[in-house]
Amino acid sequence: MLNILMVGNGQCGNRILDAVNKQAFGGKTKFAKFYSNQKFKSRVETIAVNTAINDLKELKFTKGKDRIHIPHLHGVGANRNVGKSVFNDNKDLIMRQIEDRGRFDVAFVVTSASGGTGSSFTPMLIKELKERYDFPVYAIVVLPFREEGSLYLQNAAFCLKDMRDSGADGIILADNQFLKQLGGDVESAYNGINDMIADRILFLLDALDSEMMMVTDLGDFKTVMDGGAGLATIGFYRAEKDVPVKTAIQKALSPSGLLFSTNVYDEASRAMVIIRGDKSYLSIDDISNEVEKLSSAVGHVFKGIIVRNGEYPQVLAVLTLESAFELEKLYAIAVDAINQEREKKERVDSKKEVNKAFSQLDGLEPSY
Amino acid sequence: MIKSKRIFLLVLCSVILLMTLSGSASARFEYYEEEIKVGDGYQINNYVIDVTDVFLSDKLAVFKVYKNGADKPIYDDMIGINDTLNFDLENGEVDLKLLSVGSGVLNRVNVLITVKNVDIYLTEIVNGGHEYATYSGTPVIELTKTVDESNIMVDDIITVTVTAKNTGDDKATNVIFSDPKQEHFILDKSILEQTGPMSLDIGASQTVFVYMLKATEAGIFTLKSSTATFSNRANQAFPQALSTTPTVTVTAPEIPEVPKKNAVLELSTDVDSMNVKRNDQITATISIKNTGDAPASAVWIEMVIPQDLEYVSGDSTIEVIGGVPKIYMGSFGVQQEKEFTYTVKASELGTYTLTTKLSYEYDNGVDAESQKVSTESVTGNVYVQKGKYDALLEQPIYVYVLPIIAIIAIGAWIFHRHKQYKF
Ligand SMILES: Nc1nc2c(ncn2[C@@H]2O[C@H](COP(=O)(O)OP(=O)(O)O)[C@@H](O)[C@H]2O)c(=O)[nH]1
Ligand SMILES: [Mg+2]
Repeated sequence: MLNILMVGNGQCGNRILDAVNKQAFGGKTKFAKFYSNQKFKSRVETIAVNTAINDLKELKFTKGKDRIHIPHLHGVGANRNVGKSVFNDNKDLIMRQIEDRGRFDVAFVVTSASGGTGSSFTPMLIKELKERYDFPVYAIVVLPFREEGSLYLQNAAFCLKDMRDSGADGIILADNQFLKQLGGDVESAYNGINDMIADRILFLLDALDSEMMMVTDLGDFKTVMDGGAGLATIGFYRAEKDVPVKTAIQKALSPSGLLFSTNVYDEASRAMVIIRGDKSYLSIDDISNEVEKLSSAVGHVFKGIIVRNGEYPQVLAVLTLESAFELEKLYAIAVDAINQEREKKERVDSKKEVNKAFSQLDGLEPSY
Repeated sequence: MIKSKRIFLLVLCSVILLMTLSGSASARFEYYEEEIKVGDGYQINNYVIDVTDVFLSDKLAVFKVYKNGADKPIYDDMIGINDTLNFDLENGEVDLKLLSVGSGVLNRVNVLITVKNVDIYLTEIVNGGHEYATYSGTPVIELTKTVDESNIMVDDIITVTVTAKNTGDDKATNVIFSDPKQEHFILDKSILEQTGPMSLDIGASQTVFVYMLKATEAGIFTLKSSTATFSNRANQAFPQALSTTPTVTVTAPEIPEVPKKNAVLELSTDVDSMNVKRNDQITATISIKNTGDAPASAVWIEMVIPQDLEYVSGDSTIEVIGGVPKIYMGSFGVQQEKEFTYTVKASELGTYTLTTKLSYEYDNGVDAESQKVSTESVTGNVYVQKGKYDALLEQPIYVYVLPIIAIIAIGAWIFHRHKQYKF
């Protein structure tokens, strides 16, 4: 049995964490927590960290003792510099919470890249964890909608950079912009995206702690995540009916199954494919054929098969990326955004010059 | 012989006694010696003896006797001295003996008049003879009592007028009227009261009494007579006269029959359900309405609750007095309506009725004492059957204790989870 730590930072991180906790109850209703227990195979500890108490209050499936409020008078806003100093001031508090929860085999830290709290806390937390412990730490990072504004893009760009520097063992990307086709209003779009991400995380956790044929385990996962540019994403497909396993694998690797826009066959460097379902659907030949197709384009592909009686085929693929065209595009706009922000700041500063001119009058009275 | 002498003596004595007795009773004589001038007369009662001629030389005189002033004498004669003239007067007779004739400015006679068996009330010389005599007669007083209204109501007032009229042939003298008190009436006002004494000429009328009487009770009443006592000119008293006696019919006032008023409180008692389960509540509604035309007072409503039913609650107006729920209302107006509800609970199976007793009083507007009424109303049968969960109560205790424990456990669990996930 694995010991898994999962931390959600900032609003986005908190909510994805809550979605994971919700789905762990299995039930579809919000009352599931009253009649059911979480169905984690491993010992999973979840911790939600935030400077905004209202974001913590909103959570429904995360235990009260697992929600950690970091008080800061005016909040963090979207200012990552403020966020970093707040983290430094409260580092001990946060680290003690983790320490108190015992030994872990792996950690996941979930956050948005573009906000204030999560994007600044996460790289620093990962750095702390890496310094203190030797278990692998993975970041699950949500990229903003492109139209959310230059400040968010700027934050996302710097956050990803900090993340790379933090010593994270891998960064799994999910892109709001890419997932927005889920549709609906912002709230239900967020919930839909969060559920998608939670679904994949749960499947992954379940797989890592399951008996598998052709064996894929935490070690293999580490190997996959080591490859590429340290960036990864997840593809997933769950059949609702009798679907050939071949089709299921293809769908998991297609845009509709991925969390981040990428052409798997072009950009992936390593992959791990986990197939789950009733024996009757799991044709080894079909699986091998399909995995081979992938590995001929990509590098090494680990595969694992989990037999679950009565289940339709489900496929999860973890893919590390050599290159990410989409991310380059994002950085390009981010640089524009950074320039814009600087200009804006200079304008504000020149306004401050004007203020200085006015301030010469301070204390003087007109004389006639 | 001795015997016959005695009888003779007895008879003689008796005759003497008889003669003495009858003599003093039967013959009354009165004597008048008078000098009467020629042309004058001498009146005895209503008879006048006129001396019409005196012949000195012949010692003769002519006498004429008139009765009641009539033109013709009833008797006339010329007699000489020591001659006697005799005529009947009333029931007796008169002897006139001419004693002498004399001369003077007028010739005159001396006469001795013997009046036998006459009640003499007048003797005098009448100058000028019979034509100048006054004759006494019988005054007749007719008293008429009239009323202005003879059909009246109690409390009405009538005017009584009493008039007197002398319908006799002589003046009434010393007339005194009196009027008795009238029963069944009271004197309301006296307007005129001429009781006398007075005189009333022949044919004269006089209003004697005018007064007003007020009728005090119903009936047909004949008014009492007024009376008059009187005499004639010769002071002869006559029997008293009585007035006519009018009859007055007095009717009791028609007191309009005052219709009696009633307070009629209509009472009904209903229950919300005729079939209830044991331990269910039965709601009873008492409706009361005054359909009469008088307000009721001192209204008491009493709810009679059978033994196996238990009074649970009711309107705030209901007081439980000595274990009996009651309502008191000081008054209950005409057309007023009220509803009261109360609930009872049946703890035993069975068939029950609920009775409502009502008592009240009212003033019917006629009788002095207030009228008392009491009624009651009874509901239809209420059947109390076994409750849906009664079977449970008959089960061993664990049958319902276990679910309760389970519910408590679930509650505790939910509470625990709620606390765990609270932030
Ligand atoms: N997928 C997803 N994205 C979110 C959610 N909440 C906020 N975001 C995104 O996160 C970014 C804002 O970061 P947020 O987590 O709110 O800021 P923080 O609380 O200061 O860390 C924006 O780009 C949002 O689109 C969420 O529930 N789900
Ligand atoms: Mg936010």
